[in-house]
Amino acid sequence: MTPKISITQLTFAYGKTVVLDNLSATFDEHRITAITGPSGRGKSTFLTVLNRLWEDIAGARITGSVQIRFGNNDLDIYHPSVDVCDLRRRVGMVFQTPNPLPMSIMKNVTFPLTLAGEKGRENVHEKAKTALQAAFLWDEVKDRLGADARSLSGGQQQRLCIARALVLTPEVLLLDEPTSSLDRNAGEVIEDLLIRLKDRCTVLMVSHYQDQVQRVADRILEL
Amino acid sequence: MKAATIEKLTAVYAWTCGILLVGIVGGILGYLFYRGWPGMNLSLIFGDTSPVAAILLRQPVFNGLFPAIFGTLVLVLLSVSIAVPLGIAAGIYLAEYAGQKARHIFGMIFDILAGIPSIVIGLFGFSVAVFLHHHFSDRIQPCLLISALSLAFLVLPYLIRTTQVAIEDIPRHTRITGTALGASPLQNIIHVLIPHSLGGILSGVVLAVGRCAEDTAVIMLTGVVASAGVPRSLMGGYEALPFYIYYISAQYTNEAELTSGFSACIILILLCASLFGMAFWIRRRISARLLYRH
Repeated sequence: MTPKISITQLTFAYGKTVVLDNLSATFDEHRITAITGPSGRGKSTFLTVLNRLWEDIAGARITGSVQIRFGNNDLDIYHPSVDVCDLRRRVGMVFQTPNPLPMSIMKNVTFPLTLAGEKGRENVHEKAKTALQAAFLWDEVKDRLGADARSLSGGQQQRLCIARALVLTPEVLLLDEPTSSLDRNAGEVIEDLLIRLKDRCTVLMVSHYQDQVQRVADRILEL
Repeated sequence: MKAATIEKLTAVYAWTCGILLVGIVGGILGYLFYRGWPGMNLSLIFGDTSPVAAILLRQPVFNGLFPAIFGTLVLVLLSVSIAVPLGIAAGIYLAEYAGQKARHIFGMIFDILAGIPSIVIGLFGFSVAVFLHHHFSDRIQPCLLISALSLAFLVLPYLIRTTQVAIEDIPRHTRITGTALGASPLQNIIHVLIPHSLGGILSGVVLAVGRCAEDTAVIMLTGVVASAGVPRSLMGGYEALPFYIYYISAQYTNEAELTSGFSACIILILLCASLFGMAFWIRRRISARLLYRH
């Protein structure tokens, strides 16, 4: 089976501090990989390597190769010809702290489609509805789509962020400790959601919770 | 001294300072209203002219404050219209695009600019008018446009700094939201950074409006006159409330004239309050239209 993501001899450093040293790994399609390890080992940094989100950090540099298989083609994501905005639409990311934008619930979900130049109000709303349903949030918000997204509870906000990432139907989904700022119940809802999401995409998740890793992950990568 | 006592003393000191400042502001406003309110009537603003005819600019007002109110309003709107786009753009440049060195150098220049006394800016504006008069056209002289440009120059540092700080204060996890969803740097600025920092940017605009409305030194040298009527052209003289207040308080010949000066102060404060209200209303409209309609 051809891996979805192939990383070869990856080294990442900020100034003189080497965060990831000569790392090689592969990740299969439609699997959940949990990335664990002590603090400061570069787990979050590792995720940002896969969508090049680290690039605005002054003094950071990278060597090695990262290839992601889109369709039948392996894409070297650090090749100069790669459109980084397009890459980030295909490799979605959800952060530790829910970060809804100061706009309505619906606008939050349609925001990535607006950025991508998606046309047609009905088409956009249909895609947003599908994403909200996939994130198990539709039934809770369908009657208040125009409300401020920040009025949702923490768990709902995080599911909104997942819906926002899913609306572009990414092939890879990166999650950086997605339940660490939530209570136990909200965390369990997210875990159920992640298990269902692996049918749609390849999931890489940073987590500190061993019990969560055991429940959710198909594979564990310790850094 | 125990930590709890220091804590209490600090709280008492902070409360005292706050109450003192509120008291001073209340005292100033109260005194202005006490002295100026008896003189507030339509004839103070419109003189012998019909208010409708004056507002529709059908008849000139010779012995009322209407030309000064109108001139102040035009001057403030013109200055802010020039300064706001420039100031916000420069603030965004400093926060998002400038390198460490450029940020340091430009930041220092803008801080120096903020510290220049307004009379110096006024003198500079006057010198520009004289230069243009000598080298380009005899028709160019101190006028409404030169005043507006000078005032815009005066308030630019506030707008730049408040915009820069408002954007830089956005936490990283919010700052990268748009980028992580595939936004280009410009899309991230338009859709994420500006909506998040609207409150801070608006503070700069409010500060700029207040400064443009009250400054007398700049306009005295760049185009304001005691009796010009309602401004008809950007290249002509105009009247303004701050100058009227300055003029009347220095030259008054009887108690009624002094009272009209205090009344003009009240009108100026109400005018500023209206402009602040308008700025907040525009912000709410922007938020409602752009962000909360699905």
